[in-house]
Amino acid sequence: MTAIAHAGGVYRRSIVAQLRAIVEYPADFWIMAASGAFWQILQFAFLSVLFSQVPVLAGWAFPEMLMLAGFLGLAAGANALLSDGAWSTGSMVIKGDMDYRITRPAPVLIQVASAHIGMQGVGEFALGTAMLVYGWIAAGVSPAFIPAAVLFVACAAAINLGLVTAACGANFWIKGTGSYIAFLLVDLQGKTMSMPLKIFPFGVKAFVTFVVPLAFVNFVPVEVLTGRASTWWIVGPPLAAVFSIGLAALVYRAGLRAYDSAGH
Amino acid sequence: MNRVDLALARVTFLRRIAYRGNWIFTVVIGGAGLLASLALWESLLADGAVGGYDWYAMRGYLIIGYFSMTVTVGSGDWLIAQRILDGLVAVDLTKPVDFQRARAAEFIGGLFATLPGALFAIGAAALIAGIPAPASPLAGALTLVSIALVFPLSFGVIYLGTLACFWTRRFLGIVWARDSVLMFFSGMLVPVALFPDWLKVIAWALPFVHFTTTPASIYLGRVSELGALGLLAAEAAWAIALWWLARLIWNHAVKKVTIHGG
Repeated sequence: MTAIAHAGGVYRRSIVAQLRAIVEYPADFWIMAASGAFWQILQFAFLSVLFSQVPVLAGWAFPEMLMLAGFLGLAAGANALLSDGAWSTGSMVIKGDMDYRITRPAPVLIQVASAHIGMQGVGEFALGTAMLVYGWIAAGVSPAFIPAAVLFVACAAAINLGLVTAACGANFWIKGTGSYIAFLLVDLQGKTMSMPLKIFPFGVKAFVTFVVPLAFVNFVPVEVLTGRASTWWIVGPPLAAVFSIGLAALVYRAGLRAYDSAGH
Repeated sequence: MNRVDLALARVTFLRRIAYRGNWIFTVVIGGAGLLASLALWESLLADGAVGGYDWYAMRGYLIIGYFSMTVTVGSGDWLIAQRILDGLVAVDLTKPVDFQRARAAEFIGGLFATLPGALFAIGAAALIAGIPAPASPLAGALTLVSIALVFPLSFGVIYLGTLACFWTRRFLGIVWARDSVLMFFSGMLVPVALFPDWLKVIAWALPFVHFTTTPASIYLGRVSELGALGLLAAEAAWAIALWWLARLIWNHAVKKVTIHGG
């Protein structure tokens, strides 16, 4: 328990330090926040244009698609705000910057995750919320599901955070400043999970449900909230969240064992 | 290209492939997004054409768009931005080399690292979904001209984006904003033909439409030969205009250079 409190304290202090740095450069903050919001607005525009031509896609209408995009935006925003430093893993491995983190008396993963805040997350979070609420009301989802939705958002954030961090951890072995596996993961998530899973081949559906549980970020929650899936599926997102966070911790632990500093 | 340009291009190519495992991974797996887009549009167009695009035509559209986006987004713009952000641009100012031309040479070098991945993905898409033939041999030839013009156009867009780093401390937000605009207004997310009229006017007034819509429209015969020549002229004009616009902005931006402690 003391170790968890210590890790939490380190994380909080590190994030506060990052916030202080951001305040020093307001132009960067506004550019990042606006670009995150702009990206979400374009997702909305994409869906609007698409659904002006196609009224229903694989049985899904515009409001339900907005809910999919909303959960996706919220998960991406939370990931950027809470754990954006994970994207620096590759750079830290190559430059030997992990040395500093290893010698400090705090969990390495906590230090790396809090090494940066992606302020685009502010825009993503705000617009993701707007799309989810708009889609929710337009789809006529009962307010009784609000507690479940809060749980789903928390799980979506944890799943995204865990999977992206694990993917960035691959840079302990696949050396390079860019976290291409994580880029690919996010790109694939954007392309596949903003659409009803039904339109993709069986292999893709199985992969994003049971191997890399991206479906539990937005697809399964929206299926449950709109009554397409049994309420038993409500246990899926918490399980996927635990799996994803555990995976990130395991990959990082194994990566740190394989880490041999710079110059080798 | 002179000896200095070639040297810069060669060094950039070597830097891009320095971490072989990472590079090979991007070559082999980088096209997964194209396959996902193909699956999406195959489903969307299962019941017939939308906005004049059927599944046959959409395959050509997506593949051409993917190629344009890959050579732009994967161009190594981070290397240019980093030179500005960490102050190395101050060293560049002391060299007897034109900054913009040197970065263009590096862009070309970086292309040789990016192209294998783009071609691998297109090969995979061709095997899985097939590639439609051009509307005519002339349309095919004009499409090649349009794609050739995408390279200077790409450089113009990414170089202008990197110049914004003279006013910011990070590049990521600029990349996000640039790629969002590019993906949407090029018609890569959804074809411009499906836009409402007022949005079409905005799209055609910007250079981004020439990344996907112009080469794809020519390839698929959606414009006449005369129309194709007009589009190519507009594309070339944008490439030239962006080059000189960048020169203009550079003249102002370079005054913002500050050295650590200065």
